[in-house]
Amino acid sequence: MTQREHLRNLALLGLLALGLLALPQGLSVYLTSFALFTMMYVVLALSWNIISGFTGYTSFGHVAFYGIGAYACAILVVDHGWSWVTTLFAGALVAGLVAVAIGYPVLRLKGPYFAIAMLGMAEGTRVVATVWDGLTHGGLGISFPSVENSTSTYYAMLVLMLITIAVAYLVAHSRFGIRLNAIREDEVAAEALGINVTRYKLLAFVLSAVFPAAAGGIQAYKVLYIEPQAVFFVQITIAMALMSMLGGKGTVIGPVIGAVLLYTAQELTWVNFPTAHLIAYGLFIIVVARFMPRGLIGFAIDRGWVRKGMVH
Amino acid sequence: MDDRAEMLGPEKAGRETAFSRPFADTAPAVAPAVGRRRGRGWMERSEVRSLYLLAAFLVAAYALPFVIGIRYGTVRWDAEWLGYLGTVVLSGFLQGGVYAMFAVGLTMIFGVMRIINAAHGEWVMMGAYLTWAAFFYLGVDPLLSLVFTLPIAFVFGMVVQKLLLNAVVGQPELTGLLVTFGLGLTMIYVAELIFTTDFRTIPYAPHSVQITDSIAVSQNKLISFTMALAISVGVYFLLKLTRIGKAIRATALNAEVAMVCGVNVGLIYLITTGIAASLAVAGGALVSIQFGFNPETGIIYTLQAFTIIILGGRGHYLGALIGGFMLAVLESLVSLMIPNGTAMVELAAYGLLIAVLLIRPGGLMGVKEG
Repeated sequence: MTQREHLRNLALLGLLALGLLALPQGLSVYLTSFALFTMMYVVLALSWNIISGFTGYTSFGHVAFYGIGAYACAILVVDHGWSWVTTLFAGALVAGLVAVAIGYPVLRLKGPYFAIAMLGMAEGTRVVATVWDGLTHGGLGISFPSVENSTSTYYAMLVLMLITIAVAYLVAHSRFGIRLNAIREDEVAAEALGINVTRYKLLAFVLSAVFPAAAGGIQAYKVLYIEPQAVFFVQITIAMALMSMLGGKGTVIGPVIGAVLLYTAQELTWVNFPTAHLIAYGLFIIVVARFMPRGLIGFAIDRGWVRKGMVH
Repeated sequence: MDDRAEMLGPEKAGRETAFSRPFADTAPAVAPAVGRRRGRGWMERSEVRSLYLLAAFLVAAYALPFVIGIRYGTVRWDAEWLGYLGTVVLSGFLQGGVYAMFAVGLTMIFGVMRIINAAHGEWVMMGAYLTWAAFFYLGVDPLLSLVFTLPIAFVFGMVVQKLLLNAVVGQPELTGLLVTFGLGLTMIYVAELIFTTDFRTIPYAPHSVQITDSIAVSQNKLISFTMALAISVGVYFLLKLTRIGKAIRATALNAEVAMVCGVNVGLIYLITTGIAASLAVAGGALVSIQFGFNPETGIIYTLQAFTIIILGGRGHYLGALIGGFMLAVLESLVSLMIPNGTAMVELAAYGLLIAVLLIRPGGLMGVKEG
């Protein structure tokens, strides 16, 4: 991609940032929080995409990092009196360390084995959060003292989202990203070419763990209450995978489109069809995975609407 | 030495690594090929080492509840407590037979089509609800209802195969995971719509049977175990002795070669998923007469089944049986001795799952990847 196109993309991101900066002024509290959660899913889907889209390691337990971030925020704010913005960095750090600790052994597994191991990992983390009363207050969860947080969390999430998009974009256009793609396409060949696959996989895994942790922290402070069932919810992982797949796995713009579309659709159906929307969601997952595994981007490329190299 | 380890079983073999061969790792890394073949039988060095490691891990996993129990004073070593221990281990063992049965369904789908069926637990849940509905609305005995729930399950499995899984065979694993997860989610919410989220139970044969003076297990556990064993043996002979079974095993080994040899692979896929769904539904029926269930209990069964097939060795029938027993006994030890044990039970499955994947992805039976 040329310099000009990078500049154009930067300008687009800047425009998006300006638009979203001004947003809370004109919107109700409900719509602000809707925008916040949309941005949160953009962060989650993009982060998942780094390890699973770029690198090809399907993480089926990514919610673990989100939950760890949420718990780090809640424990540090409620029990230790930290300021909440600091806890986001702490949560990201903890999640990064956890990612190194579990990634080093687990990333040796291939394909379905990695997916199952991550699913077990996430469920295991949830049980630990439920059982370890002394640290996490157990299954009852943690309540924050009530504060006004609508605007502050919105801007925090906006900043986080911009950072995530920028990082994902930089990764996709760097030698690092190309190496990740090489690992995805053929790991043995990549290793034979002299790529230190262990290091790059681990780096991608850590990168994809820190942003969900920060997002989990912001979400915890926004909702002011967390419990293991809610922040280690399997369906959050599914949402990350599904959003990436809907937009186009392995691209930068794909997960963003997927997250915005899917979260908006979910919100609309949830409001209008409270009982049927979950069934519809299940069917929707089937339809997307079954009929468009390459996502909207793949659909557009197939029809020649988008040039192949443009979408990164 | 290794042959002996094979015969003694993994636990004994693990003790041998720990005590009698402490320097196994310092042996020359490259042994002469002939010597290795003669000395080590059919197993390679890394295979043997990982089996020892796994065995050592399993011994540690079984010892851990005792250690924690002694620390917290829940282990007492008197006659009464030993009676509890015997009861719990025995009922865990009986439970293991049921787990193994529905895990075989998962391992069949995985073995034949390389699809991880993330909806397997929901199929078990469906079996529980079918049994419950037959019991409460039609007044049919839970065991008798298998006569018509199994055919329903078989047809259900074939429909799922036809509509969803056929398109997923050969795709990246994420596609299969998402499709089956979506199916599971749909099933959960349909069940919630029909049956609500309340916990249901089927009161069935609640009396207990005294085995010795201090060991007693409940009747329904014994009945479930017997049924599970009967069904498992039936499926085992189906796979081993019939032409269909042979075709299923051939497809699992190599679908293309099987196709060349005249096996109708599409039909085999249909039958495999049908059998797998029937096993899951039978498992659900047998679970439903022992425990309460609600639409969301499925995921636990999915993960238990994963653990069992990974522990035993993917696609390995006997391995699934052993894995089922081992997981269920470990779970019962955890729930007996560790304080707050009922919440920790799930952790036993997840811990085993991850540890086995890391130490020896082929499981106890050392199934090769592919």
